[in-house]
Amino acid sequence: MQSALDPAGVEAQAVYWLFWICVIGGAIIWVGVMAVLFYAGRGGREAISQKAGQRIILIGGVLFPTVVLAALLSYALWLMPTVRPVTAQANSRLTLDVTSEQFWWRIAYPPEGDLPGFETANEIRLPLGERVGFRLHAADVIHSFWVPALGGKMDMIPGRTNFLSLEATRPGLYRAPCAEFCGTSHAVMGLTVVVMEQSAFDAWRKAQAQLQPVAAASGTAPRPATGNGPVVAADQTDRGQDGLAIFQRHGCAACHALRGTTAQGKIGPDLTRLGERATLAAGALPNTQEALAAFIRNPQKAKPGALMPAFPMIPPEELATLADYLRASP
Amino acid sequence: MDKRWPLMLAGSAAALAVVGLGAIWLGAIDVRASTGHWKITEWVLHGVMRASVKAAAGEAPQPLDPDLVAMGAGHFEQACLFCHGAPDTPRSALARAMLPPPPDLKEVVATWRDQDLFEIVQHGVRYSGMPAWPAKGRKDEVWAMVAFLRAYPDMTGDAYRRMATAPEVAGAVATGDRQPKADVLARCDACHAADKLADGSFVPQIQGQNQAYLAASLRAFLSGERESGMMRVAVNGLAPEELDQLAAHYATLARAPSPGPDRPAPTLSEAGRMLAERGDASRDIPACNSCHGAGSGNPLFPRLDGLSQATIATRLHLFQDKEAQPGGTPYRELMRKAARKLEERDIKALSAYYGSGQ
Repeated sequence: MQSALDPAGVEAQAVYWLFWICVIGGAIIWVGVMAVLFYAGRGGREAISQKAGQRIILIGGVLFPTVVLAALLSYALWLMPTVRPVTAQANSRLTLDVTSEQFWWRIAYPPEGDLPGFETANEIRLPLGERVGFRLHAADVIHSFWVPALGGKMDMIPGRTNFLSLEATRPGLYRAPCAEFCGTSHAVMGLTVVVMEQSAFDAWRKAQAQLQPVAAASGTAPRPATGNGPVVAADQTDRGQDGLAIFQRHGCAACHALRGTTAQGKIGPDLTRLGERATLAAGALPNTQEALAAFIRNPQKAKPGALMPAFPMIPPEELATLADYLRASP
Repeated sequence: MDKRWPLMLAGSAAALAVVGLGAIWLGAIDVRASTGHWKITEWVLHGVMRASVKAAAGEAPQPLDPDLVAMGAGHFEQACLFCHGAPDTPRSALARAMLPPPPDLKEVVATWRDQDLFEIVQHGVRYSGMPAWPAKGRKDEVWAMVAFLRAYPDMTGDAYRRMATAPEVAGAVATGDRQPKADVLARCDACHAADKLADGSFVPQIQGQNQAYLAASLRAFLSGERESGMMRVAVNGLAPEELDQLAAHYATLARAPSPGPDRPAPTLSEAGRMLAERGDASRDIPACNSCHGAGSGNPLFPRLDGLSQATIATRLHLFQDKEAQPGGTPYRELMRKAARKLEERDIKALSAYYGSGQ
């Protein structure tokens, strides 16, 4: 799932071959050198002539390395356009903006045709066999973007935009770790990349793009002055509350967006269609109701240093409703 | 002979220590307040006090806002009057029998700098009856007392009375077990009555505030979970149920509009509106109204309409202050995070927006 030795992309495939050629070639040469050394070290032989010795040095020490290294250099130069396709950036039909933040990934799909663009988080979906460009940004510190199964690594640097493009050759689900130490939760900052058949991808993108933020009621319209007494009491009388109301009531919408609703906070990850994602909290947790509830209750446990505050004040039954709602949201 | 002087010195010290401890053990040292200090003892103690306060006092403050005086007056009436008297009240006979007797503030305030007064009010004075401020992180409250003390020597008795007490208590006519007591209401209204809240007022309007929020805050003041020297004194001796009754009482009163000017500086107010409605995601500042607006529907988030500019700004500064413990509901950590990234211009803009009746 997260291995450069199980390539599923054009670039990773090229690196894969280069790797094995170097490993096997290096092993053969090492065995040869060792054999010669062993032969030379045997006692009871007559010394070879000076001329023969010079020839061995010329062939084994100059000619052979020159040929091998030149061959490797040519191979690598020939690979370079594949490994770092500088021109492909312009050619890719789809270019995503990926912004890394402590400790998650903000992903923006551009509009295409009638389809508006949208933002999501922590999971990238790609069409099979199509070259996709990535504009890489960082919001706070240096991170690094690396999908080992698909291709090379590229740093994400605050104040700078780096480019990378990838072409996936095999459908599947691949994990991508942040590859530059970025803080206390660096080790649990993972990105999921899902490679899908073109038709499935198109359907997914269309469904996502159709979910757009709903205009919120603005202003500070006064609320009932008396309130409802303590919140807990109110909830006990009305347990079947829909999750969105719970989401709004505890202030979640200040930071998180749920496209298709009035919740449109942009500070934390977009939570639209959270249920379809492979993991929670950028690879930190499995996508289960229990894990989501536990994370909301105390994010620092799974993700030390995360900006999200803890919500121990949400009553357990409300938390369960909220977690179900978020994972089921369309 | 010469070599024996260290021995003699040590011997004398030991003898002195024995005599001293003996005097303590025999009870020969007089601690009566009635007889007063010897002149020299008083001169030393007072000299130490003045020198110590001046040495410990920090930087000279910014000019004190005249609106802080009213905030200080209400607390003075409830906490300080018993010992120090007031412009219309002489010091009690009991207080004057203390040693040292609490000074008449009309005479002594002028002998201290602002920062000295702050030092005395914040930390109290050891070996005198002057207590420390009951909350560590509320410098704003202590500065309000300093502002009040500065105005004190020139204050008439009438002006003081108007400022420090409530003329009549709104809604106190109803009687019954579920109603707060009239003297308690008078205590609250002394500072919080809506007609006392002017444009720059530092006292928040509580009438028409969400009941759940008021109840949670009052209970947090009582437990000390929410820091405030003034409110801690104000809720002192009240039972939690009485606090709930107070919350219910004030929540049902009509909310008055913000006392601020109708037209604040348009650019400031517009910047405030943007922050209030949209926030600034690029700086990790959430929209205030996502919790405080109509949409959240959570009565534990206080409503911000009807608050003055000074109140909003003070609260935001408190939420940024690592020493203060503002907020009395379980949601206070949210506000702490939200206020973390606000800059001074944001706080100006937000207080202009909310404090001008928007």
